[in-house]
Amino acid sequence: MIEVRDVHKSFVRPVLRGVSLRVPEGCIYALIGPGAAGKSVLLKLIAGLLKPEQGSILIKGEELGKKTDLELAKLREGMGMLFQNYALFQMSVADNIAFPLRRAKTHSEEEIRERVRERLERVALPGREDQDPATMSGGQKKRVGVARATVAKPPIVLYDEPTAGLDPVTSQKIYDLVREEQRREGATVMVISSDVSGVLSIADRVGMLHEGRLIFDGTADEARVSEEPAVKQFVHGLVDGPL
Amino acid sequence: MGPYERGELMAGPDGALLAFPRFLGERVLALASQVGGVGILLKDVLVRLSPSQIDRLELFRNLGRMGVKSVPIISATAAFTGGIMVIQAAPFVQQFQAEAFIGWAATFTTFRELGPLLIALIFNGRVGANNTAELGTMKVTDQVDALRALSIDPVSYLVVPRILAMVSMMVVLCVIGDAVALGGAVLTADLLLDVSPNLFLSSAVERLEVWDFGLGLVKSLLFGLMIALMSCYYGLATKGGAPGVGRAVNASVVASASGVFIVDYLLTFIL
Repeated sequence: MIEVRDVHKSFVRPVLRGVSLRVPEGCIYALIGPGAAGKSVLLKLIAGLLKPEQGSILIKGEELGKKTDLELAKLREGMGMLFQNYALFQMSVADNIAFPLRRAKTHSEEEIRERVRERLERVALPGREDQDPATMSGGQKKRVGVARATVAKPPIVLYDEPTAGLDPVTSQKIYDLVREEQRREGATVMVISSDVSGVLSIADRVGMLHEGRLIFDGTADEARVSEEPAVKQFVHGLVDGPL
Repeated sequence: MGPYERGELMAGPDGALLAFPRFLGERVLALASQVGGVGILLKDVLVRLSPSQIDRLELFRNLGRMGVKSVPIISATAAFTGGIMVIQAAPFVQQFQAEAFIGWAATFTTFRELGPLLIALIFNGRVGANNTAELGTMKVTDQVDALRALSIDPVSYLVVPRILAMVSMMVVLCVIGDAVALGGAVLTADLLLDVSPNLFLSSAVERLEVWDFGLGLVKSLLFGLMIALMSCYYGLATKGGAPGVGRAVNASVVASASGVFIVDYLLTFIL
């Protein structure tokens, strides 16, 4: 479903140095790693928001690098994305969630209202349609972001640090929500997170980026017992190690 | 990293010798990059100007908040400008008993020059700065990327409606400003110089040409385009979080004001 082949990307300094990975269809793939490892950059490359300097990215077998802007926009209609700092627009909660559907012009206003109501119930924020997102807590904003990312029922959903800055209880609620949504819709999900224990609780597969390279790719259980020094240190939160 | 890639590596007499050309070169490159960026943005806007691509809802929203809400401050500025023109001219008018010319002198200067220029500067401070801050905040909080992730072209959705709104409203505000400035000048002339409104207006109408008014509108249109392009460019080029937004607003206001004066100089010279 998602395939990354030998991708390189630099911003003054190299960020990704030959990353290759594969996310199977209907799988939750967690990408973990320390700060500035290149996780968010890789997610933006997969979403087609950035272009790699070398290598290729394939979504459902279609290479992003060969697409025109229009074709890329069409491809992105099948993706939902939650941004690390919410990226909610300056409009009401309902308008934020309805935004992708209204722009797509594929649903009637009544259908959109119903879908928004259903999404808000799913993310445990019923009746908050008219609220200004600026007045919400971090966890509530994340949940609105999840609702917006999934309102069009996209086959691919990308989550960038869905629990950054949230308390452990709210974090686990967000992860449970991500898992439930994936179970219901069968979407292919990629989650970036520095919160290892939380994300491993929902992930089918795990990749770890370190200094721009993928140093681990396996199941969540394999990650927990990995003897690779950097993976072991990061997964278990050890002070001593190469990180 | 080569020895000439960073200024701090160039210590000593040779380094000091190279510091100025290096500083100059960096500034020239930065300026070239900004001018090129604005040019590319203008091209991107022009290719999206077909009526079917324009987001009408955003256009009307921006016309309201950028134009209609600017009317009070623009009117106040224009009223004082008209009055100030008369006050400045008052000693000479009285000395040479040129009351018959005061209407023409005040309106000629206001319509051709001061009206469009001062309205542009106020518009730059109120609308241009706000536009840069808004787009800059959207950029640093990933809202622009979120639009792209939702298959929405940020230039079509964010930039085109704002540029159309700013350009058109600058012209409309100039017309309103000219009318209010005329009112301010008539009132001041009546109170200060005892020049009747009839004499003032007939002096203006007799000597003023349509082009004097038209030139002001042409200037307003180009000033509006300059402010719109600069404010959108600096907004979308923002990086570095909240401090970056502040820097972008500052750069946008300075660049727009400089651009307005340069355009004004060239237009006044050519036309």
